[in-house]
Amino acid sequence: MAGSGTAHLRNTVDAVLTVRDLTVEFRVAKDKIVKAVSGLSFDVIRGETLAIVGESGCGKTTLARAVLQLPPPNSGEVVFEGTDLTLLPKENLRSARTSMQMIFQDPISSLDPRMTVHQLIDEPLEIWGRGTRAERDERINNLLNNVGLEPDLVLNRRSYEFSGGQCQRISIARALALDPRMLICDEPVSALDVSIQAQILNLLQDMKDRFGLTMIFISHDLAVVKAVSNRVIVMYLGKICEVAPPETLYTKPAHHYTRALLNSVPIADPTRQTRTELLQGEPPSPMNPPSGCRFRTRCAAATALCAEQEPQLQEVAPGQFVACHHPLA
Amino acid sequence: MFFSLFGWLLPLKPWAFVFEDDLGVGLFSVGHLFGTDSNGYDLLSSVVAGTRMSIFIAIAAVGLGGFIGSVLGIFSAYLRGKVDTVMVTVFNVGLSVPNLVLALALVSVLATNLDINQAVPTWRRVMVLVMSLTIVLIPILGRIARGATLSWTSREFVTAARSMGMKDSKIILRHIVPNVLPALIAVAFLAVGVVIIAEASLSILGVGIPDGASWGGMIARGRNDLEYAPHVLYVPIVFLALTVISTNHLGDVVRSKLDSREAKV
Repeated sequence: MAGSGTAHLRNTVDAVLTVRDLTVEFRVAKDKIVKAVSGLSFDVIRGETLAIVGESGCGKTTLARAVLQLPPPNSGEVVFEGTDLTLLPKENLRSARTSMQMIFQDPISSLDPRMTVHQLIDEPLEIWGRGTRAERDERINNLLNNVGLEPDLVLNRRSYEFSGGQCQRISIARALALDPRMLICDEPVSALDVSIQAQILNLLQDMKDRFGLTMIFISHDLAVVKAVSNRVIVMYLGKICEVAPPETLYTKPAHHYTRALLNSVPIADPTRQTRTELLQGEPPSPMNPPSGCRFRTRCAAATALCAEQEPQLQEVAPGQFVACHHPLA
Repeated sequence: MFFSLFGWLLPLKPWAFVFEDDLGVGLFSVGHLFGTDSNGYDLLSSVVAGTRMSIFIAIAAVGLGGFIGSVLGIFSAYLRGKVDTVMVTVFNVGLSVPNLVLALALVSVLATNLDINQAVPTWRRVMVLVMSLTIVLIPILGRIARGATLSWTSREFVTAARSMGMKDSKIILRHIVPNVLPALIAVAFLAVGVVIIAEASLSILGVGIPDGASWGGMIARGRNDLEYAPHVLYVPIVFLALTVISTNHLGDVVRSKLDSREAKV
């Protein structure tokens, strides 16, 4: 049911980021092309947290990087605050990127092990020559205080001396150094212990409120997404299945894939019977996706129509859009 | 080990052959600690002088080869695409030719005069030797630099630096080079040992430095006296072996020192 369409775009002036028909392809062999993201559209309104969920390999990370033009997408447009980033010359893009910053999945690999915390956070400030030495030091201290680290204790240490959670705090401080308007978090908590996950999520929420950030939050963990997002996009094999606010999505999923995802969330109650209807098989290869609806090979409700025609996103309830020929009632 | 490492630093005796009346004095005789060879050259001063030549050639070749190789390797891995494909092919072609054969061919072609009766000056032979060993080393060290760069470039802090708006040239200098360097330095130390041996082999084959100015040359000359004065052969060989062992060991030590931060992760 994963399909295309732009019905869910809100076309308001408040949209910080609008992505239309974004396609990212990788050439893996001479005539083999992987379509990691194919014809995807979405928008993010100022102050909103958009969550993107989907299983591993469905193109979430590729999508996030394509928004930052790292690497640039093969086609489609990425309009950030009125400017199409795909059309910007290299030098302008360099400065445009600073208003969008990214938090990565692996907190340790996102910090250079040879640099001290001071150097790490100073780096973005230094590139853009923000302020004098003293002003920058002041700023670094403020940032570290903001993310809950004691500057005097951490400034001269290197990333390997910290735990994953602390590294992620440092990453957040570094990302905030340039006063971005948007933060793209690529699975920011999936590499952390559960107890630390909550701390980092709270921290991100705090930072968002304090600095008026707009966030794109990528995750495969539905419980995490529920806690932070205003709107959720469910992705499957590089396409959108469903777009909905979390309350609707979690109680009344309209897409078969969304329901399967929700069913796969473990329930901490040993007396409860395991629920049936778990998905069978592996997702098909993005090199050779199924015709029509991409989810039909694993969908219980698939019919001949699903193989012939690609479903378009349509509104089934206020704010809830689904790309499926046979949406769940 | 220490002696072969630092011993050559201490008695910087003048590059003089000690002529003696008695030819072929044995080991540990008065005045000549290692004895003399059949021409009456004092082996201690020859070995000390030979050290300078051997080590100079090794360090020069490794330095040059390492520098050129790592620049090529880092750039090709960072840029990827066509540049990388071409560079990998060049490296592989270079590696597929046996090292010694390649060096031998280069030296014998480059270090001969058109007029074979005219002697080739020593400095030119040295330069040619350094050059050909450098050419042999470039693909070896270049590949290592390329491999290390590939693994570091895929780390997320490089993407982070890009998203901060850092220029590519600065990313390479600030993030890639410092991280790739430890691996390269460790291999470079090993390469010093290999090059000392390669230079000796070339000298034994007769295309190295003439007039026995390096250890290889001494071995080449001592070979003739093997039957009645084996120590003439043994002295440079022992020095060679000790030096190679100690450079390998030094490489290990340096690497573990530089890697300690990474190892803690």
